[in-house]
Amino acid sequence: MKKIWHIGRLDLKLMVKDKAFFFWVLLFPLAFILIFGNLFGSSRTDTRASLTVLNQDRGKWGAYFIRKLESPKIELAVVNEPPAEYYRVLVIPPDFSTRIERKAAQEIQFLKDSEADLKAGAVADTKITQAIVKLLAELVMYGNRDMKAFFDTRNPYRDLVSVHTRLPKDTIAKIPSGFDHTLPGILVQFVMMMVLIYGGISVMEDRKHRVLARILYSSASFAELFGGKLLGRLLMGLLQSAILVAAGLLLFRLNLGNVWLSSLNIVVFAAAMAALSIFVGSVLRKEELIIGVSMLLANMFAGLGGCWWPIEIVPPAFRAAAMVSPAYWAMDTFHKIIFFGKGFAAVWPNLLVLLGFGAVSTALALRFFKVEE
Amino acid sequence: MQQKILEIKNLGKSYGETTALANFSLDLAPGEVLGLLGPNGAGKTTLISILSGTLRDFSGSVAFRGQDLFADRRLKNRIGIVPQEMAFYEDLSALENLLFWGGLYDIPEKELKRRALELLAVVELSTRAREPVKKFSGGMKRRLNVAIGLVHRPELLLLDEPTVGIDVQAKVSILDIIREVGRKGTSVVFTTHQLAEVEQTCSRIAIMDQGKILATGTLAELIRIVGEKEIVEVSGEFSATAFSEAIPAPSGAGIEILSVSDDFAMLAFADSQDIPAMMQRLFAHRLHVADLKIKSPSLEAVFLKMTGRSLRD
Ligand SMILES: Nc1ncnc2c1ncn2[C@@H]1O[C@H](COP(=O)(O)OP(=O)(O)OP(=O)(O)O)[C@@H](O)[C@H]1O
Ligand SMILES: [Mg+2]
Repeated sequence: MKKIWHIGRLDLKLMVKDKAFFFWVLLFPLAFILIFGNLFGSSRTDTRASLTVLNQDRGKWGAYFIRKLESPKIELAVVNEPPAEYYRVLVIPPDFSTRIERKAAQEIQFLKDSEADLKAGAVADTKITQAIVKLLAELVMYGNRDMKAFFDTRNPYRDLVSVHTRLPKDTIAKIPSGFDHTLPGILVQFVMMMVLIYGGISVMEDRKHRVLARILYSSASFAELFGGKLLGRLLMGLLQSAILVAAGLLLFRLNLGNVWLSSLNIVVFAAAMAALSIFVGSVLRKEELIIGVSMLLANMFAGLGGCWWPIEIVPPAFRAAAMVSPAYWAMDTFHKIIFFGKGFAAVWPNLLVLLGFGAVSTALALRFFKVEE
Repeated sequence: MQQKILEIKNLGKSYGETTALANFSLDLAPGEVLGLLGPNGAGKTTLISILSGTLRDFSGSVAFRGQDLFADRRLKNRIGIVPQEMAFYEDLSALENLLFWGGLYDIPEKELKRRALELLAVVELSTRAREPVKKFSGGMKRRLNVAIGLVHRPELLLLDEPTVGIDVQAKVSILDIIREVGRKGTSVVFTTHQLAEVEQTCSRIAIMDQGKILATGTLAELIRIVGEKEIVEVSGEFSATAFSEAIPAPSGAGIEILSVSDDFAMLAFADSQDIPAMMQRLFAHRLHVADLKIKSPSLEAVFLKMTGRSLRD
């Protein structure tokens, strides 16, 4: 065990000593995070629809109606003058109260700007309809009683109707987006890329320089050598993850959900990549080839596996193909933990799949790993 | 009798058609510094690889202090091996390298650091101990390569061509280190194809070729193989065949051709009176002789006699 640690720790040290280390593990991924994070928006503007209400009413009913529009999903702005710019505006006419009290027909206007977001508009539409239904229901129940007494605090018909919206269990309540999606995505991509490149090249170089053979000149066993190399590459992946998580916390207020579970996901994923990197470094003999293959694998897995855009937005056929990418399973685990608040019970099958990837990679690595050319 | 530190019996190893070692046997007594002299392809590296435990599928046996070397992995803690290649981390410093390689043996951290610093002084790298090794010269790298094999204080040190590819001064310093290690009681086997190196450094010499030991002994013992003879080196402008025709071997009782190639031949004479007669025969065959040297028997003569080929290729 001590020798495994001794051998593994050195690989981490050599990676950190590399001149380009900080560029590769910090600056490069940060650029990716900024690009994709902004491309797929931030989660805040997406779910809150803005609604401007122009209240021209001279009685109490206008304000009462507006209160019924209030909701966490709506960003409500009440104005008295027609606004110069708006996405959507609801106009309450000056005789709104008078007409209600007279039980006369009523017309309210809902204006939308051509640039307004359709989804947000739908949220506002629903809210307005709900408010109208509530108000009508109350008026019907109140019947022919004195309209002036409606606002009396003892009136039992006030705020009579309330609507609770609840979605069925397991509905995708929101599509993962913004930096909370992009950061784990780029983290997964770079764990793949860095572990495969650094880990693969160093296995190849150590073999070429007979460093691997020389380790076996000591009483270290083959198992200790292989274990040490595996551990070293796992540590590389964990270091890359730690750097991006730290940057994410500092710069983007990253939310990892259940930290322990997210960490477990990272460890299992990095271990699979560690084994894969030994395989890559064992079968390839040229540095450029290892970089090329690693880049190709990492980016293919990343694109396919939903590191760059939420897999929820791609067609089902594509989503099925994504399952061959280990990144898909790691990302799906992150989504379950971060966006849907799921626990171990929901993610263990994913982790098992990743362990499977790790087992296959380890078997391949063991089959091809050799200490000399 | 003192127990042998190393007993190699009938080692055999083939790579397909090529036989690298055949019936190779060699003993080493504690404290001996043995030079294993062999031309290119003689099987030196193959031998070291087998002893290091990285090469399998061979026949024969190796005992280390009476125990089967390959039966117990812990025996490796008592052997130091310096490969022909510079096998270490170029991005680390010399000190970091020694700490890593020494860390593979169960040495307490403080003690390891102390030994590493001490060893750096021995190999004259103290002033550059903390620089990345990739900035080192070839000779410095060779010295570090040797130091790594010594950091766990082995009882037996095996070196594969430790002086290959470096300048004369660097060679001298490596040989000094080997002699010093031997003087402190470590048994040493080192391979080389440099005659001068073994003459200067070793308490015993073994000559090998084509996977076999041809002769072993001290320098004096080996020279006696050639006998009390005069060694004559002839150089000029002639072909090997023309020379052999002029002096058919064996030509008479007293003359022995140790080696002949184009423009160079080495002969052994029991009686120096026969030398003028040989010269006459060369002139009679119209061979152009530019230079003729008469020497007392040397290791080179022994080597040529045993292997029939020159080390200089
Ligand atoms: N991996 C291999 N595959 C096939 N043949 C090999 C292999 N290694 C060595 N040989 C052959 O075995 C023989 C002995 O080689 P070895 O490397 O042991 O010689 P050496 O004495 O170390 O030579 P040198 O002085 O060139 O280092 C040579 O004929 C060589 O070609
Ligand atoms: Mg060799």
